[in-house]
Amino acid sequence: MAGRSLSSVGPAVAEPTEGTAAAPAPKPAPRRTRRGSRAERLAPLVLVAPAVLVIVVLRLWPLVLGINFSFTGDGERNGTAVGLDNYLTLLDDPLFQTALRNVGLLVLLLPIAVAIPGLLATFVYLKVPGHRVYRGVYFFPAVLSPVIVAAIFNLLLAFDGPLNRLLGTVGLGPVDWLGDPDVTIFAVVGVHVWATFGMALVVFLAGFSTLDPSLLDAARVDGATLAQTIRHVIVPGLSRTIQFVFVTTMIGMLTSMFGLLYVMTGGGPEGSTYLPEYYIWIKQGQMNQPALASAASTALFLIMLLVGLAQIGVLRRTAGKED
Amino acid sequence: MRRTRWVVAIPMAALALATIYPLVFTANVAMKTRREYVLDRFSVTDSLRWDNIVKAWSSVGMSRYFLNSVVVVACSVAVLLLLGSMAGFALARLRFRGSSTLFLGVLAALFVPFQVIMVPLARIMADTGLLDTYPGLVLAYVAQFLPFTIFLLTSYYATVPPEIVDAARIDGNTTYGVYWRIMLPMGAPALLSVGVLNALFCWNDVLIALLVMPSAEHRTLMVGVTSLRGQYSDDIPTFASGVLIAAVPVLVVYLFLQRQIADGVTAGATKG
Repeated sequence: MAGRSLSSVGPAVAEPTEGTAAAPAPKPAPRRTRRGSRAERLAPLVLVAPAVLVIVVLRLWPLVLGINFSFTGDGERNGTAVGLDNYLTLLDDPLFQTALRNVGLLVLLLPIAVAIPGLLATFVYLKVPGHRVYRGVYFFPAVLSPVIVAAIFNLLLAFDGPLNRLLGTVGLGPVDWLGDPDVTIFAVVGVHVWATFGMALVVFLAGFSTLDPSLLDAARVDGATLAQTIRHVIVPGLSRTIQFVFVTTMIGMLTSMFGLLYVMTGGGPEGSTYLPEYYIWIKQGQMNQPALASAASTALFLIMLLVGLAQIGVLRRTAGKED
Repeated sequence: MRRTRWVVAIPMAALALATIYPLVFTANVAMKTRREYVLDRFSVTDSLRWDNIVKAWSSVGMSRYFLNSVVVVACSVAVLLLLGSMAGFALARLRFRGSSTLFLGVLAALFVPFQVIMVPLARIMADTGLLDTYPGLVLAYVAQFLPFTIFLLTSYYATVPPEIVDAARIDGNTTYGVYWRIMLPMGAPALLSVGVLNALFCWNDVLIALLVMPSAEHRTLMVGVTSLRGQYSDDIPTFASGVLIAAVPVLVVYLFLQRQIADGVTAGATKG
């Protein structure tokens, strides 16, 4: 969920500030004091105060507390400063190592998770037969809770379930989707992609609506193939949207798979489907190691910052080359 | 390109089928008896049986969870829209010292995922006696989704022509009057869009609910769904019924408000 809520950061940042950014410089005094009453002068602050209070107390303050907390001990050493001990414990913990390896896997799978909705959006935009229906159909799993999606796929991916039966009819052996440590993480990521590609698709379509149609017409007149059109017209024209989808998809993978992991695998088999967010949950709740969990939280935060910055950097460079 | 259109139409149709089928399968299972399911889980059910749904609704406690979810989501969305529109209006249309800094602070909060703050948040909730209470969960949701709400509403209010505010002032409205009589009604489309999205986020959430409202009688619907599998591992039709009960409200909202949901999701991506 957090991932989805983040999906609206991005290019729009500059836009709404226009109204406010101009404020500090030439402050038109008459405007503020025209109705000189105290209540009137304080009105903006009164309107903003409750929201600011909630955000500061329940979001920003916990962030500071958590980072601070990650340098203290658990259990008997509760409250005492332990320096980097928690971080060293993390690096030694095979479960956390698996979680980090899985993050690496997600980064590798990311281009696929972006390319699928990107291609589909292209086809919808180019008006393949039935394009009106597809937008609505593809988007619909995105509104389902990961918990519901996970529960449904528990049935579908069962050893004697529909997917294995489908494989059987085309002559392939059954796969132990939720029991084979080498397979399960791919099954979970696959389900996540199934559930969320519609979200990215809708964002892509919104990007397409800003694309100049005359460029496509020109490509058509010049006899460009679909691949050429995508490469030379669509990708450069949508570089901002692509960048946005890359970042939000990655954030979604790192922060909104909890429901899937919790219901589908519980981190198993053999801890093979751990991700940092699940690790934090287990250490905080079941293992009662909140300080260690805080260290993992801080690590997750750093990973997200790094991944986000790296992606923006890489994409900016490739986008620049295209121009 | 004309030929390619038809070539890609086939995989796209297959994918559409793959998108719909899981839910159809679940609905079909929910209509079966246990015996039918064990004998053949793929056959189309011969009659619409609602026994499993009734069973899941009454004996599994889904009705209780459902009510908990409705109360918490309604309160959360109401508070989110109130605080969000107040702050959005002030940040977009009133000039005051530090407003741009505040807006940047809200943006910064957007980038803090829940997983990063959940441990200290649980501690704060425990220390203030809010853990495992309805107000506690409502506050947690408000804190989680308020930055996003303010962000969208600020950009919406920034598109309202300033002349409207000026005219309302000349007519003798105070700032509060402008907010209450002009901005709140004018913001209706944006409020609907943000409200629906927030309602979905809150309704679908499981992590925050698990953390803040752990006890059994306080379970929200999604937390209830997570406990179904263990309870009904030998009664899959009832399990499927519980899943269906949790999914149907979302599907109904989706059918009627698809546009608003998509607008909210894409608002950040297209501007600028």
